[in-house]
Amino acid sequence: MPTTITETPADVVILGVGYMSGVIAAELSDPLLNNGKAYSVVAITKGPYWDYVNDFSTTKYDEWGVGLGRKYDSPLPLQSTTIRNTPYQFALPVRRYTMPIQYHALGHGVGGAAQHYGGTMGRQGPWGYQMLSQTNTRYPGTIDTINPHNDLQDWPLQYYQYEPYYVQWENAHGLCGNYNGSTDNPGSDSSGYPWMSQNYRLPPHPLTPAAQLFQSTVQSAPFNYHPFPHVNALASQPYVNQYGVPVNPCVYDGYCGGLCDYACETGAKANAAYRTIPAAMKNGNFTLVVNSFIFRLDTDPTSGLVTAARYYDPQGNVHIQQGKVFFNGMWGYNMIRIMLLSGVGAPYVWKSDPTMVSGTVGRGMTNGYSPYRGTNVSGTLSNIGGNAYPAGNAGGGSVDIYDLMDDNFDHKNLGFIGGSQIGVGGYPGGGPGNITFAGGVSSASMGGTFKATQKDKYLQTKTVLSSTPFAPDLPTTDNYVDLDPHYTDIYGDPLARLTYDWTPNMYVGATYLATKVKDIFTAMGASNVTVSNTVLPGAVHNDWWGHHLRGGCRIGTDPTWSVWDKWNQCWSPTVKTPFNIFGAGEITNTSGDTVPSGTHVAGPQSYRAAEGIKQYLGLMTPGLVP
Amino acid sequence: MVDQTRREFLKLGLAAAASAVTASAIEIPMFGSQNSSMQTQLNNANTQVANLKNRVNTIVGFISLNITEQSLLEKIVETIIPTDADPGAKEAGVIYFIDRALAGDYGQSANMFMDGPHILPRIPASTTAPLSINPTLSWATNPYIPGASTSPISYIGGSVVTPGSGTQGITATPRVGSGINYQYPLNMREFWRIGLDALQKYAKDPNGAYKGPFESLSSTNQLTLLQDLWGDKPTSFNNIRPSDFAYELTFMTWAGFLMDPIYGGNQNMVGWTYTGFNGVNFGNFYGEGKDQKALMVATTPTRLKPASLAQYQQQASGSA
Ligand SMILES: Cc1cc2nc3c(=O)[nH]c(=O)nc-3n(C[C@H](O)[C@H](O)[C@H](O)COP(=O)(O)OP(=O)(O)OC[C@H]3O[C@@H](n4cnc5c(N)ncnc54)[C@H](O)[C@@H]3O)c2cc1C
Ligand code: SF4
Repeated sequence: MPTTITETPADVVILGVGYMSGVIAAELSDPLLNNGKAYSVVAITKGPYWDYVNDFSTTKYDEWGVGLGRKYDSPLPLQSTTIRNTPYQFALPVRRYTMPIQYHALGHGVGGAAQHYGGTMGRQGPWGYQMLSQTNTRYPGTIDTINPHNDLQDWPLQYYQYEPYYVQWENAHGLCGNYNGSTDNPGSDSSGYPWMSQNYRLPPHPLTPAAQLFQSTVQSAPFNYHPFPHVNALASQPYVNQYGVPVNPCVYDGYCGGLCDYACETGAKANAAYRTIPAAMKNGNFTLVVNSFIFRLDTDPTSGLVTAARYYDPQGNVHIQQGKVFFNGMWGYNMIRIMLLSGVGAPYVWKSDPTMVSGTVGRGMTNGYSPYRGTNVSGTLSNIGGNAYPAGNAGGGSVDIYDLMDDNFDHKNLGFIGGSQIGVGGYPGGGPGNITFAGGVSSASMGGTFKATQKDKYLQTKTVLSSTPFAPDLPTTDNYVDLDPHYTDIYGDPLARLTYDWTPNMYVGATYLATKVKDIFTAMGASNVTVSNTVLPGAVHNDWWGHHLRGGCRIGTDPTWSVWDKWNQCWSPTVKTPFNIFGAGEITNTSGDTVPSGTHVAGPQSYRAAEGIKQYLGLMTPGLVP
Repeated sequence: MVDQTRREFLKLGLAAAASAVTASAIEIPMFGSQNSSMQTQLNNANTQVANLKNRVNTIVGFISLNITEQSLLEKIVETIIPTDADPGAKEAGVIYFIDRALAGDYGQSANMFMDGPHILPRIPASTTAPLSINPTLSWATNPYIPGASTSPISYIGGSVVTPGSGTQGITATPRVGSGINYQYPLNMREFWRIGLDALQKYAKDPNGAYKGPFESLSSTNQLTLLQDLWGDKPTSFNNIRPSDFAYELTFMTWAGFLMDPIYGGNQNMVGWTYTGFNGVNFGNFYGEGKDQKALMVATTPTRLKPASLAQYQQQASGSA
């Protein structure tokens, strides 16, 4: 018979052990970082403890097991999610994983989603933190036309206030790049890209010939753009971070990203399990609880504070873990779901009239990733070939520009704001592409004619350039997360329900940006440069979601629309405000910019939250950290 | 319908290890401790190799498909990837791959979310009758959900601007093969059984275009019949959309041609040789002396003789 077990209370209880939680664990468990105080820290996660030597080194090269079997991912029978486009629809549950991966499995176990992510990084610049006020100043009166039912807001802090946290986060995880990547990209200041006070810790990965061609093309007239090597978190050299944790370098064997979720066999791919959790483990006051599913937060009716987390162990026993302060690092809609299930924070209530909506938890969700069908630009470089089988890692080899992003060009009368980071030349073989067509099969994928198109497809004598640019998805009152009335997880609790459709800013921007990319490809000497698949309003974009949801649980300047304040501390009241819970992740990003990495934008928030928690623990009475 | 036994089983099986470990109990295999970890790794690999060998050696005979299904499916996969001057589905043993998959996790839908309600695709797609569905008790009784009640909930479709206008259906319109597309209350093995049967009925229909068993049709007609499925022409599939089954057939056939040989297909790595894929040969598996770092920035391709997972693990364990 399953029983209820009460665990020893802790100072800090961390919910979920992924990227963001790792920072909290490292920062709060080391007495040297806490004025000599040895806080007891307990971190709880579903899924196992992964280690790259035993779990990945000889078994990761398994396209079927990783791709369709998703052996490193969250099992769908445990927990799925439901999806619809509008609040008038019935939401269908995600029933299966497919190949190539369309619905991204999320984090499972220590290290979370970043055990098998792409590792692409890139800071969000000053504009991204003030999209609303910048737009209102420069293009007054346009935002409500650009974004009907607009819910775009400014962040609680400005870029320069996050800059020190960016540096800490980049040091901890060993990011590779070179902000001074080209002769035309001079040192940093706080106005132009890359707005950085120090360079990335490790050099970028070697550039491919296509990337070099892109670089020289966009640097010259008529473009005069500012290219730089792609930033990523796949260590290019051996490295020791500020916590003394050593990191192995990438060995470029591929099976890294691409269209599967591959784990890394050397630990070069930065995530909590190989950067911050080892640091926490060196401190004797840190406890890691694995294979445990958190299902409720208990609150005190008088104070409103969170008193404990309840979780199931694999035998079905219920454990109660009390704590003084909690960190919600359960990622995306899991972060939202646990709060909605437990009555922590004001739940978002949708109304067709945007002035009548209320609540914050689940509100303002955006998608930061290119959808399955986007406006695509392609072209062929017939003088550059290469090895399209796995060779190189997922995120290296390319060159990027930010010149077509943010407000770096005039948007007057364009009908959209922001833009896209454009990059060319990643390693052709970051991951096996056997599945590329096998999963995208159609009536055309049968018979001898189609078979012939597959001959020697990994031995390319030409390079196909391809880009799917899109402008940022903007928060509206109509895209949100709530609890599904009809489907439950394995323990009988309602699943998260996602109500989401593309916002016009994305596709209006895509149409414009495609013409710009077309000019670049043409100038590079590509043949057959074509724009295809133009995405129109009302098209279906509902099956390529998951791993870059942003904004459904925002930090902000006002508790009427944001869950967390400038310290990533909860200030959203149900009746009383649960001040003693903090949270960070892509889903807490206030707005969706089109930087390649919402994770890189979330990272500094985890350092900010760590500082907030330290200050909270020093408060005499519970309340907001000033 | 919730398969309670299966869920209970999964609950227990989802995680085998003890739940709580303190810091000292977990070994972080960084530089210092690599040696002992390597030993464990090699031991693991040895066991795996032994298991793999057994598996590879049993690739004769069928464990899931019955005799009628075998002869039908054999012709289907050979239509999808025909043998020409180069090997096709036949030489790759695609049918064994599918047979093994149907007997295993794929066929059992072991990693799928299978709970109801099951909202079947609307046939015809233009059906607009609203849906009214009861909520679950755990939703209706959760004290924190605004507006929760036990009454049935109605869905009318429509966009956020003009509700009920029909511009957006009662559910989203998923793409064939996407994660929210398959909503049948059938595990994949059952789905294939019904699908193969319906396909054969369509071929044999005396009033239809083909009037004979699939196996007896000309290769042109075999291909056309499979295209009919993609076009949702047959009516013999009842509640199943024929294109959903066509997707499964096509996807699994290509997977059987291109996935690692441990899964029963891609025998002798013919699929990889055909496409120029390297498997796990990173440039020096057979002592070619090529370097990954050079291969990844090369401007001309280099053909590498493919190596399989079983070979790789044998090499890792030193017993090649
Ligand atoms: C395939 C893929 C590719 C990606 N590529 C990139 C990329 O190139 N660049 C980039 O910047 N980002 C990328 N991402 C996103 C990136 O991985 C995530 O943003 C990041 O890992 C999120 O960190 P987190 O701490 O918020 O959550 P996670 O790291 O996912 O951690 C969440 C943790 O909470 C646990 N948890 C959840 N629910 C429960 C529960 N009920 N009980 C107990 N524990 C629970 C999970 O097991 C997990 O350990 C990718 C993601 C995926 C899936
Ligand atoms: S290519 Fe590099 S980063 Fe990618 S999995 Fe291999 S070692 Fe890790």
